[in-house]
Amino acid sequence: MTTLTQMQHDSLNDKLRAFLQGTLAVLPLTIAVIPWGILAGSIAVDAGLNPLQSQAMSAFVFAGAAQLVALGMIKAGVGLGSIILTTLLITSRHLLYSMALRNKISPLPFKWRATLGFLLTDELFAIANQGDQHQFDRWHALGGGLSFYISWNLASLAGIVAGQNIENIADWGLDFAIAATFIALVVPAIKKRSTLICVLVSLVSAVVFELFQVSGGLLIAALLGMTSGYFYALLTQEKVTQEEVTQEKATGEEENGADS
Amino acid sequence: MIWLMIGLMTLVIFASRYLFLEPRLPVRLGKNAQQFLSYSAPAVLTAIFAPIVFVREEQLMLSVDNPYLVCAVVATGLALWTRNTLLTTVLSMGLFFVLH
Repeated sequence: MTTLTQMQHDSLNDKLRAFLQGTLAVLPLTIAVIPWGILAGSIAVDAGLNPLQSQAMSAFVFAGAAQLVALGMIKAGVGLGSIILTTLLITSRHLLYSMALRNKISPLPFKWRATLGFLLTDELFAIANQGDQHQFDRWHALGGGLSFYISWNLASLAGIVAGQNIENIADWGLDFAIAATFIALVVPAIKKRSTLICVLVSLVSAVVFELFQVSGGLLIAALLGMTSGYFYALLTQEKVTQEEVTQEKATGEEENGADS
Repeated sequence: MIWLMIGLMTLVIFASRYLFLEPRLPVRLGKNAQQFLSYSAPAVLTAIFAPIVFVREEQLMLSVDNPYLVCAVVATGLALWTRNTLLTTVLSMGLFFVLH
């Protein structure tokens, strides 16, 4: 019988090993986020935030895409209400991530749920949702999430310092780092035709919405992609992968045990 | 105003990341919901990076003069052939900074 178990470590040594393995698993992304962090720090200074506010934004908000969009809106003189509404749209994908990880993280104590929830970025989700679906290792996830958080904040600090001293950092093309990272995350995840359909629909519609400056275009494009992939799989009766079979069983287990 | 914005953004984003991790939230995800959600990461990440790659100064730029597009194609190729995240990101970013 398959159950979703929580990996338990008895000794400090095992915890440390899992922590370091998580750090290592997310390391490519920890490096790739450096240009992006520099961009966020320098744009914050450029948008008129003081150094403390700029650093606080990366430390508390900890969401690259939302930070960059909000800073762009401040520079454009947009009001607080619109900024928060846009943040809500950009961050909506995290709802989907937390739903997807619900079975794994919701049984943990509050301090673990809150910590891993705070650290739940696109990058951590990519790592946490890979590999062995039977076991969830909180130390592995913490190592990945925390090292990524530190890298993001150090890179932001570098960007804040550079932003005060160097002109036109925004023209360096640091935003390509966002594209490189997401391509490196998305391409290996395409293992079946329905995922390919989902990505292509999302790609074309996001570009079209951007060209026509549709507000909330990101959210609509993503939902269109997800719906296309879902219905393609449904209509063609696409075989589910081994990973999903395991996840399905795990969900069944949770549902059976949910009343206890 | 800036501090208020940082505070509100922190609240909104943490809430979205934490909401479904809360066990007292009476939500159960069925098979179909899980299936639908399995497409969320590729869909959202693509919707974020696609405009960066294809749209320059509010124009569609499908040309070899667009270093974002050229390097994105290289990154896709590297990701397909090597399946290595580090190699993909570092090499494509290196090429980008040479071209740009």
